[in-house]
This record gives sequence, structure tokens and C-alpha cells, in this order.
Amino acid sequence: MFAFILRRTIQSVIVLFVMSLLVFCMINLVGDPVDMLVNPESLPDEIERVRRDFGLDQPVYSQYWHFLKGALSGDLGKSYVFGRPALALMAERFPATLELAFCALIIAVTIGLPLGIYAGLRPDGFATRIMMGMSVLGISIPTFWLGLMMIILFSVILGWLPVSGRGDIGVFLGIESSIFTMDGLRHLIMPATNLALFKIAMVMRLARAGTSEVMAQDFIRFARAQGLPRKRIIKSHLLPNILIPIVTVIGIEFGTLIAFATVTESIFSWPGLGKLVIDAIINLDRPVVVAYLLFVVALFLTLNLIVDIIYAALDPRVRLQGDDT
Amino acid sequence: MRNDPLLSIKGLRVEFPTQDGPLVAVNNVDLDVARGEVLGIVGESGSGKTVLGLSAMGLIDRPGRLTAGQVVFDGQDVTKYSESGWRNIRGNRIAMIFQDPTTSLNPVQQIGAQMIEALQSHRDISRDNARQIIRNAMVRVGINSPDERLNAYPHQFSGGMRQRVVIAIALLNEPDLIIADEPTTALDVTIQAQILRDMRRLSRDTRTSLVWVTHDLGVVAQIAQRVAVMYAGRIVENGPTEKILKSPCHPYTEGLIASMPANALPGERLHSIPGGLPQLSKLPAGCSFAPRCNYAASACNMSPKLIQISSDHAVRCVSPLDGGS
Repeated sequence: MFAFILRRTIQSVIVLFVMSLLVFCMINLVGDPVDMLVNPESLPDEIERVRRDFGLDQPVYSQYWHFLKGALSGDLGKSYVFGRPALALMAERFPATLELAFCALIIAVTIGLPLGIYAGLRPDGFATRIMMGMSVLGISIPTFWLGLMMIILFSVILGWLPVSGRGDIGVFLGIESSIFTMDGLRHLIMPATNLALFKIAMVMRLARAGTSEVMAQDFIRFARAQGLPRKRIIKSHLLPNILIPIVTVIGIEFGTLIAFATVTESIFSWPGLGKLVIDAIINLDRPVVVAYLLFVVALFLTLNLIVDIIYAALDPRVRLQGDDT
Repeated sequence: MRNDPLLSIKGLRVEFPTQDGPLVAVNNVDLDVARGEVLGIVGESGSGKTVLGLSAMGLIDRPGRLTAGQVVFDGQDVTKYSESGWRNIRGNRIAMIFQDPTTSLNPVQQIGAQMIEALQSHRDISRDNARQIIRNAMVRVGINSPDERLNAYPHQFSGGMRQRVVIAIALLNEPDLIIADEPTTALDVTIQAQILRDMRRLSRDTRTSLVWVTHDLGVVAQIAQRVAVMYAGRIVENGPTEKILKSPCHPYTEGLIASMPANALPGERLHSIPGGLPQLSKLPAGCSFAPRCNYAASACNMSPKLIQISSDHAVRCVSPLDGGS
């Protein structure tokens, strides 16, 4: 177990290093940030001064070397636009995104899992057909369109929910989140649902496929032959067996929720990471973009590791040495 | 000791709808199992012997269903039972053991937990008491040091050990009847012999009735007092094991006995019955074995009735063999 985590950590550091190299080189191919930062009517020597201040007059390899030295001491550079460390900016925005992604995940699992199990247990049911049809819609309708439709329906026409923003923030056990206030929840529910729709459909399909596969297994029939109540069979025989693949996918999907909430955050003006990085890309704020991409890579590496550990906990047949077959 | 049969199947018919019309897996079967008796049910794959076993547990999977006849268990017609009525019988009064021990147990649950579950679904019992019963059951089926084994997962056992665990689970609630569906087919011969010996002893000691479903007449010879031979969903011969093995009256039984490798002479080809099972949805008119029968005559176009050869021996053939006598 320890050896497994150590090896994975070393691998992760290598992946991060390669990724930083790639990101840094590629972003240097795009545009000139100085053009975005100075007044177009500035004098040439003023433009040169800005360029020198940001170190943009140096060749790419020495810029990278400078970045790498900083990165090793925990400094991913300062935002050109805000003049503040990129990491600090991200840390400010991260709770909003985390809260959004977390709520979306909860919605996806609490709705998707029971519906999927129901569909798997009653493959020919009328309700099953409707649900599976809806899940195709859930997977194929674009998020942004649905987000806009939700705003039109619930905010503009019905006036039930606020159009955008994060709302009041409450504090509970030292955690600041809009979950803890009524106003915050009203702001949160629509973007979280919007973000969750695709995942609901996905969890549902996974749960249905898993259920119909597991229910056909001999051990389910043996459990029935023992006279176990149906609820018990579902709880202790079906659920643990379908959870194994679902946990794997959900772990990775949680990463995509955080990393790619960009569209939803833009539509609902949610002050999270996605909105930060979109603004940074538009303004050619290189340090923020680089820091964000490295953060996403680190996030996925960590989630993968956590998923593997949970996987081993759920499935006794999996051992985390990696040296056995 | 009561003399009425423990299990009495009367005129049972089980059909599975298919595109070619209904497939009759069990066709007008009458069968009695006395208290404490070991009955063998022999037939080729697809002869309906497994479905017959499952129907005594109410475990016929949809779309299959029972279209005629009754199953009387201990004086009660259980065919009309609701799911919860069945649940009280399954695992409690009738237990079932399946063919493949590698798939009969839930792979992600410790076997101790699976056994406790089997006990607690039929009685209100504390974990400590349950553990005591489980220990005894494990020792009875020849599992040494049961305490260490309780926390193990199924994949940590060998095939033979797993089948012993399955048998131990079947024994937990001290059922009156155990239906064993080819429980030793997936095991090697030495383990098979041990398990047969143990089961015979258990049945004798506890006066548990045993229905042993198999395609192997050799197994039947070792364990069963009485045997029913099934062909294409019907019972074609039914009588004491010794009589049937020595002097079979049905040509199919004769063919099965001749096909036993133990009866082959060294250097000679193994005997086999020509042809294969007819399609159960398109049974020929008259005797369904006639197309493969060496003795077939024009009288075989009539559907044969079950003829009582002696008080305990019946055969479904228009011209029964005289049993080699």
C-alpha cells in the first residue's frame, strides 16, 4: 500500500513536470500579453519597460527556468492582470467551484443511482423506457443551451430563482459555503443541476448496465434461494458489486466537474475557477492559465490515486502492490 | 415418522415463451420425494432437470412460468404462494446448491457475513449465536479452523472449499429438503467423492431429503436410493437406483448406462446415443425419444403413458425393455 502510493507520487511528479514544459512552451506561441496590458498609445520604451518587468524579454528557456525555480518553492508566478500570485487567485475562487461540483455530484448520484437500479431491475417497465429515453436527451443536449433555457424558465418567466451569482455565504464548522444559507442555496441549485444533468444520465446508464449484469449472476440466484429479502439482496449483494465501476467513473467525473465547469460558470456568472480561467485566456494572462492547467493535472492525478485506493477497499480481489497478477 | 411424501410434484408444466412458440421445459412431471430420501434426477443438458429443481423453489426466472400442476411441500400447495410466502420456505425449509461454486458466492462480501445474513433472514438471532451455528455447520462440511475462514473472501478459497461453504450455507437453517443442482460437476473427482460421501452422511444423520440433479449416472449410483430419468422435459423412467442401473426398462436409460465411461471396454469406442435432444419448442408427435431410439416402431407415434412395471418402478415407453432379464 505504502509502496504503491510512493510509486504513484513519483510518477505524478514526472507527469506534472512534462505537463508544465508542454503548457509553458505552447502558451508562448500564442499572442503577446504585453499588447493586452499596456495602453496602445504608450511609447515604445514604456512597452519595453513592461516587457522587461514581466521577464518577457528573456528567451523561452530562461523564462521556463525562472518559472520552474519558482514552482519548486510553491510560486507559480503573478497574474499580469491582477498583479497577485496566480495560486492565491485560484485559492480564492476554488471554494465556489468545489461547492458547485460537489453539489452537482451529489445530485447526480442521488438521482442517477436509484433510477439506474430501478431500470436495471425492471428492464421492460414503462417507466424504464421513459427514463432511458430521457437519459439520451441528458447526454446529448448541450449544457449551455439547457442552462439558458433554465434561466429563461425559472428566473425570467417564473421568477423563482435568481439569474446569476453566488448569493450569501454562511459559515459552518469553519467552512464557508453558500450551502449554509437559504439565499446561497437558491443561487446554487440551478447551476448545480445544470452541471449535474449530464452526470445524472451517465450514472443512471452505468447503474442500469451494472444492475442487469449483476442480477443475472449465480450469487444473486443463490441469495434468493436462501430466502433473503429483496431489499437485503439489493443492499448487500447488488449495490457493492455495481458500485465498483461506478466509483471509478464518478471519481474521474468529479475531476471533470471541477475542471470543466467553465461553461456553466460562464452562463450563471458563478465566481469560480472556470470563470477565472476563461478571463485569463481572453486576457492572455499566462501565469494564471499555466497555474490552472497544472492544477487540473494535479487534480486528476490525485483523484486517480484516491479512486484506486477506494477501488481496493471495495473489491477485496484488488491488491495495491502492482507486482501480483 | 410420517409417511406422506415431503415434496410431491403433480402434473407440473413449465413453459418459456419463444419466437417459435412455447418451449416446454418441464412437461407433465409427477414426482415424490419421501422424508429422508435421496432422489437422483438424471438427464442430458437441456432435459429440464434444472428447471424442475428451480420450480420446487419458486425460482423460475421470467419469462418462464408454471402453466399447470402443483408443487406440494409438506402438505401445502406452494405453487400459489406469494413472494413472501416463498421466502419463508427458501433457505429455511428447502435449500438449494448450484453447480458452479466459483459464482455462487458474493465476491465482495466476507463469507462469514454471507452466512450470518442467511441465518438472520429466517430467525431473530444474535451475532454470537449465529457465529456458533456457523462454526458447527462449517465443521460438519469438513472445513477446519472455521474462525479463520469467516473473515475470508470467496476468492481466497479453492473450488472444493467454496462448494463446502455453499453446502454449509444450505445446511444453516436445517432444511427438510436440499436440492443440489450438479454440485460436484465443476470439481475434480477426489473432491467430488469426498463431498458425495459427506452429503450422504449428512442426509442420513439429519434425515434431510436430498434431490441430486446430475447428468452423471455414476454419481447417482453412489448417492441416490431412487432415480428419475428425464428426457425432453418428461420423466421417462423412475425407480430404485439399483433396479434401474441393473435392468433399465427405457431405451434412453439403457443408452445412458451404456455411455458411462466406466462401462467401456479398453480399446473400444465409447458408446454414445445417436442424435441430440429435440428442440423443446418443436417436440415430435408421439415419443420424443423415438427418433434416436434403436427399438423405435410404428407404435411409437403414439404418446406413451407412464407404465407401472412394478410397485416402485415406472417407465414411459410403449414397449419397455424387459430389463435384460
